[in-house]
Amino acid sequence: MNARAELIERVALHRRAQLGTLSDAGYQELLAAVRENVENFVDTAEDEAFLLVTKAVERQTAARDGEDLLDDEAFFESRSRRMSRLVLDCEKALSVDPDCLDAQLLHALAMDQDPDPTLGPLLEVEQRADKRLEHAVLLADAWNDVLLRPVLRIKAAVSRACLDSARYRMAAQKAEECITLSALDALGLRHTGFLAYARLEDEGAFDALDVRFSRQASAWSLLAHAILLYKLGRMPAARRAICGYSRLCEGGAYALIKPIMVDTYLPDRPEAPTLSFAEATLAVHEADPVICDVPDFVSWAQSQRDVWFSGQDYARRQGYDW
Amino acid sequence: MAFDAKWEDYQRMSLRFAWSLNGTGLLAAAHAFAGFGRRYAQERDSLPQTDADRAFHLVAEATELIDYQLPFATDEEAETIISRGHQMLEEAISLDPQCHDAIRMDEAARCPSFESYYNFLLEHEPEVRARCAEARAATQDDDSPERAEMAAQLAMWPHLRWLAMLSSKALICGRNREALRFCNDLLTLDPSDVADARYTAALAYAKLEDEQGLDQLEARCRMLPHAQAGNDAWTLIARLALAHRRRDLPRARQFIAKIIEAYPQALVLLARQRELPDGVFARLAVPPFSEDELVIAMSEATVLTQEGRDSLGRGALGSWLLQECLSRATRKELDELRDTIEGMNAPFGPNGLKPEGGPR
Repeated sequence: MNARAELIERVALHRRAQLGTLSDAGYQELLAAVRENVENFVDTAEDEAFLLVTKAVERQTAARDGEDLLDDEAFFESRSRRMSRLVLDCEKALSVDPDCLDAQLLHALAMDQDPDPTLGPLLEVEQRADKRLEHAVLLADAWNDVLLRPVLRIKAAVSRACLDSARYRMAAQKAEECITLSALDALGLRHTGFLAYARLEDEGAFDALDVRFSRQASAWSLLAHAILLYKLGRMPAARRAICGYSRLCEGGAYALIKPIMVDTYLPDRPEAPTLSFAEATLAVHEADPVICDVPDFVSWAQSQRDVWFSGQDYARRQGYDW
Repeated sequence: MAFDAKWEDYQRMSLRFAWSLNGTGLLAAAHAFAGFGRRYAQERDSLPQTDADRAFHLVAEATELIDYQLPFATDEEAETIISRGHQMLEEAISLDPQCHDAIRMDEAARCPSFESYYNFLLEHEPEVRARCAEARAATQDDDSPERAEMAAQLAMWPHLRWLAMLSSKALICGRNREALRFCNDLLTLDPSDVADARYTAALAYAKLEDEQGLDQLEARCRMLPHAQAGNDAWTLIARLALAHRRRDLPRARQFIAKIIEAYPQALVLLARQRELPDGVFARLAVPPFSEDELVIAMSEATVLTQEGRDSLGRGALGSWLLQECLSRATRKELDELRDTIEGMNAPFGPNGLKPEGGPR
């Protein structure tokens, strides 16, 4: 989530509304001024709460720096400290504006419960978000309305929590709902959709989603497709798919064979270049519940010569253990 | 219904005996048959039998050891049981190289993974199907339609067991549509569903979150005399899982209540969610609506309960179910669940995160 960019846009939009008519050039000037010092322009409770959320998200990002080097115990301690801090930050934002959807979302996530008990509070936040949606004038793509982005973020978080709590049909439905609101799919709901359809062995729905996004390959779509074919017992096709994943996705084989821990998304999936190692790491992490349900999938994948050598080669180039 | 190897052994022998009496006078035959039970129990070798009958008898003995005694054995006993069981199976195969049950059971211990056993079953299924069909076609003409029917069934059952094992392994391997394909095959081959394929199918429909499929299965099997009208543990657990997956928690709680109503000791068993080794011959034969039946169903349903990220490592439904059961438990039930409660320390990090090595 690029909170600061959204904050600037929100504040500028509110100011424009206060000023009445403003030419495009005038708005650009206003935007530049807001960008210079956004805090000076914050004068509504709504924006003030969003400013607090922005700071909380930035604080989280900063606190995560260096955690990579900690051992497990120290890591979980540091993590627990920053999660508690995030709860407090969200409560502060909500005391300023109880309707701040992002603070509600982050608060539900920062409580740090298992996905199943997290889903209840998330669904409550989603209901409030849906009310916001009812009153909004919908643009062609909801992502282009900065005030509706929290709604999309909430639905994305709900969809992922459904996947993580083994509710695959619901995860796919929420993803589709969100894609209907925003075909740009900046939050990558399609990725959750691919994993859910693979787990449900629903080839028709998987294919329709893939076509909808012009079959643009991603770590999720390639990995999920291999899982789907494996589950359906179409082994030659599954073999080609997993080799394709490891060939097209930088370090994809390594990410699958040597999975690493990925922390809770706060509030959304970190950005990663398409088909990069970082993307493969996220895809493998998100696919974990689906992969666990196919107990011999990873050993089958690594028994494919191309996959094995691709993983080994990546490890050697990066100096990672193999 | 389920398959009972001992009962089947008895049926084979009595059929063979009856055939050996063909041509004997009615009275003499009745007289000879009166002594059959005693001879079966005490002087089995004195009865007429083929090598295939001897092989099946060994299968029945091995089943008793591996499926019914092994789960309750100490570690030392276990080793003896396993080696004796496999000796019997090998002997069965040497007596009858077409003894599909023995081949299948023997292979179960040799395969290093679910996948390799599944592949073995899948690869040989057409051959087993063809052989059993041949055996059925070759069964002796019989004046008695009951005996002819029994002979035909006994010839086909090894194939039904092969398919039933294939469907249950498909479910474990995460191949739910394949599991359903084999279950449907079983229900077509044997609409009386002696293999209880509908139980495996119920779990597979829940895995695919296909409520309509489960409804149709229930309708299809409703007329079976032993169908328990959708109130069997497998269907109830499947419906409980479906409600939980829709996050319809009140409905899910209703199914917990139904299970508790239908089965003894249900609350404790639902909380414990014990995983047992599956029967190697076939799903264990236990009385309907018994405590044992629920134990078996819950064990098979771990493919549903253990799914999802969760810090207890029990899965989303598993952890929720445990909490629900603990909140309803009486003091006596809580006492029985002490081990389960003490084992509730989380093996995973918060949010079900698994700490793993390597670069983050």
